[in-house]
Amino acid sequence: MTDYFSYVESLFKEGEKRDPPLKGLKVVELTHFVFGPNVGRILAQFGAEVVKIETPGEGERYRIATIFGRFYNRTNLVYGIQNANKYFIAADARNAKAREIIFELAKRADVFVENLRAGLADAMGVGYAQISKVNPRIIYASCSGFGQYGPLSKVPSFDVAAQGVASLAVKTGWEDVEEFYKLPDYFGDFLPSMMVVFAVLNALYYRDKTGKGQYIDVSQTESLLRFLYDITYFSLTGEEIGKTGNIDPCASPSGIFKTADEKFVAIAIMTDQQFEALSTLIEGLRNGERFRRDRIKELNQLVEDWVAKHKLDEIMEYAKKLGFPASPVLGDVEVFNDPWRWERRSIVKLLDRLYGEIPVPGAFVAMSATPGQVKWLARPVGYHNRLILKKWLGMSDQEIEKLEKDGVIGYWDEQPGCAPPPIWDAEKDPVFRGEKDE
Amino acid sequence: MSRDEALMKLFAEDNKPFALEDVKVVEIAGENFAAAIAGSLLAEFGAKVVRIEFDDQAKNISLFGAKVEGCGIPYLVESRNKEIVKFSESAKELINSCDILIDGMKPGYLDSLGIGYRQISEKNPGLIYVAVSPYGHFTNKAREFANVPDSDLTAQAYNGYPSIIGNPYLTGKYSYPLRAGIWAAWTMAGLNAACGAMIALIERKKSGKGQFVDVATHDALAVIHTFPTIVGFLFGKSRTRYGTLDYIIYPFGYYRVKDGYVALATPTDPDFRALLKIIDRWDLEPDYRYSLDRISDDPERLKVLDEELNKTLQKYTVKQLVSRARKKTKGKILGRLLGAPIIVKLNKLQELLNDPHWRLRNSLIKFNPDGKGILIPNTAVKMSETPPRIFKILGKEVKKS
Repeated sequence: MTDYFSYVESLFKEGEKRDPPLKGLKVVELTHFVFGPNVGRILAQFGAEVVKIETPGEGERYRIATIFGRFYNRTNLVYGIQNANKYFIAADARNAKAREIIFELAKRADVFVENLRAGLADAMGVGYAQISKVNPRIIYASCSGFGQYGPLSKVPSFDVAAQGVASLAVKTGWEDVEEFYKLPDYFGDFLPSMMVVFAVLNALYYRDKTGKGQYIDVSQTESLLRFLYDITYFSLTGEEIGKTGNIDPCASPSGIFKTADEKFVAIAIMTDQQFEALSTLIEGLRNGERFRRDRIKELNQLVEDWVAKHKLDEIMEYAKKLGFPASPVLGDVEVFNDPWRWERRSIVKLLDRLYGEIPVPGAFVAMSATPGQVKWLARPVGYHNRLILKKWLGMSDQEIEKLEKDGVIGYWDEQPGCAPPPIWDAEKDPVFRGEKDE
Repeated sequence: MSRDEALMKLFAEDNKPFALEDVKVVEIAGENFAAAIAGSLLAEFGAKVVRIEFDDQAKNISLFGAKVEGCGIPYLVESRNKEIVKFSESAKELINSCDILIDGMKPGYLDSLGIGYRQISEKNPGLIYVAVSPYGHFTNKAREFANVPDSDLTAQAYNGYPSIIGNPYLTGKYSYPLRAGIWAAWTMAGLNAACGAMIALIERKKSGKGQFVDVATHDALAVIHTFPTIVGFLFGKSRTRYGTLDYIIYPFGYYRVKDGYVALATPTDPDFRALLKIIDRWDLEPDYRYSLDRISDDPERLKVLDEELNKTLQKYTVKQLVSRARKKTKGKILGRLLGAPIIVKLNKLQELLNDPHWRLRNSLIKFNPDGKGILIPNTAVKMSETPPRIFKILGKEVKKS
């Protein structure tokens, strides 16, 4: 019998491959920043055709939000990757005719995603009530900070705000420093966005059986609360856990320690079996009420002293041999250069038609028969106007030109992040001209 | 009918069906809670989830050891709607006939027992096998580290997450990488696994075939967040601790004010300008360093502005700041285009629980094991046709309050 890991690898590398799971699924999104757009990003990785609607000119405001102000080939990679594999339409929602076009697209969609202020999509004439009337199969997801109804529903939100309201933020930081830190990289957007993806997939599964669409309401705050075990702890003990530094209250000992070679290692002992394993290495490490707050600190001190005398590699060898959770603490560059991630295809090299060769995160999950794909980065504002208006709405070139002339639809302004790369030539781009798909 | 009333009616649970009531799931998660969370999510949406256990280790894992009916809190919360049984010969029948098998054990362990994907898929080619482990079930690294058990903290670490949490201006011990205060990596990995299972389930309707879905907790955050790849490629230099600052939007964090803390975000430049007006610091506006240039990979450069903001914000109360920020947008059709910072109070847990908003939305449910009502997070999703809901905790019925 082949070794297990080689067997699984053969499934991923040489196993049967089938069509993308969400091929033919039509998604329309009226979204900005991260929470809404990430839903389309994930669905598009597995074959959905996602049309994103933006404002002509500046497009969505996240287009100019780059890391440290850095653009690449006149595009913003943060936005580009967040909106990979999508089709870009620019229609000015302040214009009644443009709203009609958005409505016509939604009429033909399977899924509609929005993360505007609660109630705004209704006011624009593209709310769930309006679209489901003409398209009862629509799966409509509204993403917001605090949900679509209730006293807080109209309060504007953003990642850090939701983390703050959820009382999640008061849990991250050092016990003896009067400061609170956010969970970075917009965790308060990304986690909820995956909750939306999950709900949408469930609704699709149900629609396959019954033909019925439905309305989905997901809030950032409730998605975060779903995993806030402190709520249950508080109702049981009356105590707010608050900040615990590097201690995981569910693991003892647990923390991030400095090694003899000045590196950082995370160690978190969940089970008694793991505890026994570690105690064979560290003198004085005794079990017995090890989860008590003061005991965790005592045990951590012993681990800290021991780690300080050993190199990272030695510690990892012990972890492998004895079986306890330990990992090095990586930085961005180490993550990026990690051969394991490239081998898993969680980082891949994308050869983009407009922007050239760029490393990007791969599909969010590895699937043996239907691997996800990142095919192209976000395009300039309005780049697919012609393609999609022809393909979805059957419009002629003349009709589209009239819409352009009347200012109903539009294209990019010359800002980096919105415009094509400098050497791009409209005449030589059949996709832009709507003659060919991506 | 107001919009709120109409929505509450639309989302009423009544006797509506579940989306996944025809789906059979087996969860063999051991003490890997990322895998258990994947099972819980499917269970919330009505899948028949049977959790099969080899031992009691998962029950002992809890916040400072707190227990309810002999079970730790994560175990309790993630037991929702599940049937929990001990591993036995008869459980094998269940394993062989399920639609989705969630494997949170050491990679290769189930295979060694004859209930891995290799064996089951031969008899049951429709099986969707969802593996959740530190480094996945293939690659050399996965093989090399197969004996190292999973934990949220170690997964956070390998995702590069603690390296960017904290205050860049602190030194000594406080300059260490810092843990995210919840199971950030395990929750994300659990959701990724649940979404992967659903994509495979939808695909199976067309092809009739299952497949192997592999989730690595040690990569779950980085692959979703995308930033480590972008920073690695563009800068070749890792970010430092940006807990009080940010690399895309600034200000973007928690600030001490006169009577507490606020969350403050200025997503765009006009929002930042509006903030300066609100706190009467328009004098900072003409300084080029604080316009778009206030986003910098050099924390030292941000220090001056950060100190000014901290100093000024402490002159105001939470209420003053929140109401001034709201006034900026109210009644103006294009209010958002004119800019306004987002400012909300930083809640303690007790304050969250006192807010009637969450009661109205049933965001938390009460579980009464022995008369003491304890709170448990409800499903996070509202759906009009197939509302997910919780009817069982630790195998006991949950009554609607």
